[in-house]
Amino acid sequence: MRIEVRHPFSTSRKVVWKFLQDEEVLRRSLPGCRKLEEVSEGVYSAELGLNVGPVKGMFTGEVKLSELREPESYRLTMSGKGKPGEIRGDARIRLEEAEEGTVLICNAEAHVTGVLASVGQRVMGSVAKLILSQFFKAVEKEIRHSTPK
Amino acid sequence: MPNVFGTPLKRREDPRLITGKGNFTDDIQLPGMLYMAVLRSPHAHARIKRIDVSAARQVPGVVAVYTGKDLEGKMGTIPTAWLVPDSDIKTPPHHALAVDQVRYVGDGIALVVAEDRYTVRDALELIDVEYEELPPVVNQEEAMKDGAPQLHEGVPNNIAFHWKAGEVPDEVFDRAEVVIRRRFYQQRLIPNPMETRAAVAQYNPSSGEMTIWCTSQNPHIHRFILSGVLGIPETKLQVVAPDVGGGFGCKIAVYPDEALVGYVARDLRRPVKWTEDRREHFTTTTHGRDMILDVELAGKRDGTLTALRIKNTANLGAYLSTAAPGVPTILFGLIAPGPYKIPKAAVEVIGVLTNTTPTDAYRGAGRPEATYQIERMIDLFADEIGMDPLEIRRKNLIREDEFPFDNALGLQYDSGNYHRALNKALEMINYDQFRKEQEEARKKGRYLGIGFSTYVEICGLGPSKVAGAVGFQGGLWESATVRVHPSGKISVFTGASPHGQGEETTFAQIVSQKLGVPVEDIEIVHGDTNRISMGWGTYGSRTTPVGGSAIAIACDRVLEKAKKIAAHALEVSESDLDFEDGAFQVQGVPGKKITFQEVTLQAYLAWNLPEGVEPSLEAQSFYDPANFVYPFGTHICILEVDGETGEVKLKKYVAVDDPGPVINPMVAEGQVHGGIVQGIGQALWEGAVYDENGQLISGTFMDYAMPKARFFPAFETAFTETPSPVNPLGVKGIGETGTIASTPAVVNAVVDALKPFGVKDLDMPLTPEKVWKAMQKGRREA
Repeated sequence: MRIEVRHPFSTSRKVVWKFLQDEEVLRRSLPGCRKLEEVSEGVYSAELGLNVGPVKGMFTGEVKLSELREPESYRLTMSGKGKPGEIRGDARIRLEEAEEGTVLICNAEAHVTGVLASVGQRVMGSVAKLILSQFFKAVEKEIRHSTPK
Repeated sequence: MPNVFGTPLKRREDPRLITGKGNFTDDIQLPGMLYMAVLRSPHAHARIKRIDVSAARQVPGVVAVYTGKDLEGKMGTIPTAWLVPDSDIKTPPHHALAVDQVRYVGDGIALVVAEDRYTVRDALELIDVEYEELPPVVNQEEAMKDGAPQLHEGVPNNIAFHWKAGEVPDEVFDRAEVVIRRRFYQQRLIPNPMETRAAVAQYNPSSGEMTIWCTSQNPHIHRFILSGVLGIPETKLQVVAPDVGGGFGCKIAVYPDEALVGYVARDLRRPVKWTEDRREHFTTTTHGRDMILDVELAGKRDGTLTALRIKNTANLGAYLSTAAPGVPTILFGLIAPGPYKIPKAAVEVIGVLTNTTPTDAYRGAGRPEATYQIERMIDLFADEIGMDPLEIRRKNLIREDEFPFDNALGLQYDSGNYHRALNKALEMINYDQFRKEQEEARKKGRYLGIGFSTYVEICGLGPSKVAGAVGFQGGLWESATVRVHPSGKISVFTGASPHGQGEETTFAQIVSQKLGVPVEDIEIVHGDTNRISMGWGTYGSRTTPVGGSAIAIACDRVLEKAKKIAAHALEVSESDLDFEDGAFQVQGVPGKKITFQEVTLQAYLAWNLPEGVEPSLEAQSFYDPANFVYPFGTHICILEVDGETGEVKLKKYVAVDDPGPVINPMVAEGQVHGGIVQGIGQALWEGAVYDENGQLISGTFMDYAMPKARFFPAFETAFTETPSPVNPLGVKGIGETGTIASTPAVVNAVVDALKPFGVKDLDMPLTPEKVWKAMQKGRREA
């Protein structure tokens, strides 16, 4: 399953980049984030409590940031396991300069198993988009609150 | 006594079923009963690295947890029962719970037993399994390739068997005036009876006896196999199929789950119940079809057909299910030429294992696939030579005076009058008028289509000698015991195990007709290995031609003895007696008679029986038919394709079936209706879909389109009755004809409707999207 999400930010790529790489920001912005700990360089152990449609329950797993090219792009891979099944995701995140500031383009490929696959596959795309948008909105809020108007 | 054979009596089983008084496996409650649930693999192919069940064990109410390792060596593996001969068949072990490797999404890994069904589910979620994922293979052609993931040791290229029947040299095709070559994909289907599978087991430690109640179409086969798997002698193992809420083939197989319930009940010495939920059913109960058919049909420009050659690449799923190897081979291959005189035919079948749910029989089992390809090929051939699809059928159908007819693959079709059934169906439509309307409609941008299916099928399985020759590891005869009680009421014990087809009614009609006893006084007993001597069950439309015939023969034996007693009582010779209206009547002496009921009482009192006649009135038959039976008929579908949306609207559906003499037209018509609905389901809507990782993505009723009543017009059905010489009742089967005939009738009609768009063929299911795309392609190319 492929997902593409775009999100505009009203600040420069540099600022957006900084926030996206900030562990504290991530912890506060990731939807349902209960735990996020860096276990090694760019690798985080995470616990997310999600509740969107069929994607319900605690997911534990690993998030890895790699191929960092500041402030243009990076790769985010994740694997998570929860009661309804397992999720594996591989996302390329690009930051492009835009008139208003920055556009974030996330291209992700996700694989799911279990109930997530048999019941949820049809709605998984929109669920994933929703979760990602919530995340980007939360990051945007973080940026707004920390930068002087 | 009026004639009850041929009367549309209402089904006697229905009042209990439609008022919630059925007794299904899940209705069984036993004191101290535990509940079992099975943890199933979320991966299509993986190695089990570690299973941690400690958290599950600690849940209050959990009694036990077992993994595959716990059971290894303590119970047998689940065998297949069809070893197709001369096919180099491989039978890799199927463990009831996977030991170190899982091979499809739904493969059992561990089980939990708890005091209630809520606890068992909660605890199941606490089992932590670490997998090492392996690359899966879903498609049968991919699975055969070198370098493809291998499912089992000792099954190179995942090829479970390679079977051939008949031979047609290349030169026949090289020299033919016309050759049609076409690939058809028989999509994977998921049988969905209203009742999912369930099993309850109870063990008596003092006697060593075990009873397993389960959703089975063939309890004696379950006993036969489970006895071996569990190591319990048949003398101590009782298998009961109580009310079974439909099967359609998916309750033939012996699954790991029934064996597990038995194992656990014995191990824990408490009754155990397992009930499958619908989601579990989608991934673990056998699927149907999934065959790739490469077909070549040769013939002449005048429409004469000369040779048929087929290669069937069948997807068997991850393990060989009970009857699976027989479906794409024997049940598909031998009937492939259908009702047409095709002098040469050859069929090659490759059975392939993949990381998908095992496939097995699904209503029609092999014959829908066979009928589909030949009915589609006939239409394609007709189109190629510019002949009317009706004409080419008339020309090639076997004629009435050619029966018994030996087909090119060695089957002998018992009897038939194919043209009569065709003509009767044509009387129910106006073909010439339709073609005119179709022409007119096309001018207005409306697309009407008509499709024919002039099928023949093979059922009434079957002669046991043939069963052995084709590798079925069982007999296919049937038993009947007719026990007339002292009061004259009758219990009939049948080894066929009906589960919704109406035989509690139709079998009573057979007995009533034979013995002159009212239907209300006859009880049909089935589905219990302790009450019934032996039986092979209900599948392959065998119940009435084989099981019904056994009953008829047992009735004749009862009557024979009764006549001796009657003659003795009336002090006449047996030859002086006629049996009519439920009484033995002395010929030419009106009023001098003795009723069947009076004879029965005398038989039991035994105060004055003739010399050499034993007391009681009971007879048994173990009837083995001499041949299969071959029902046939014509189905015609008229429909309209929406030129804007691609939606198919069924307008008229005519079915003329010939199952031999019809015992109960209402029950028979009901079978035809259900069959048509399931067959059209395949044509238009149904299809199991796996993603490339082997995840079933059509695993709910939201994603798997089950046909609904509102999708259909009122069916117009009729019967012709050509008796079979094979059995004493002359009956054939009617349980599967609808499924066998309807699928190609509908697809032929859609393709006919799409003729203006240059469409020759489309893969099922013919969803609006697929049809719309075909029309768009036609529009672009026009």
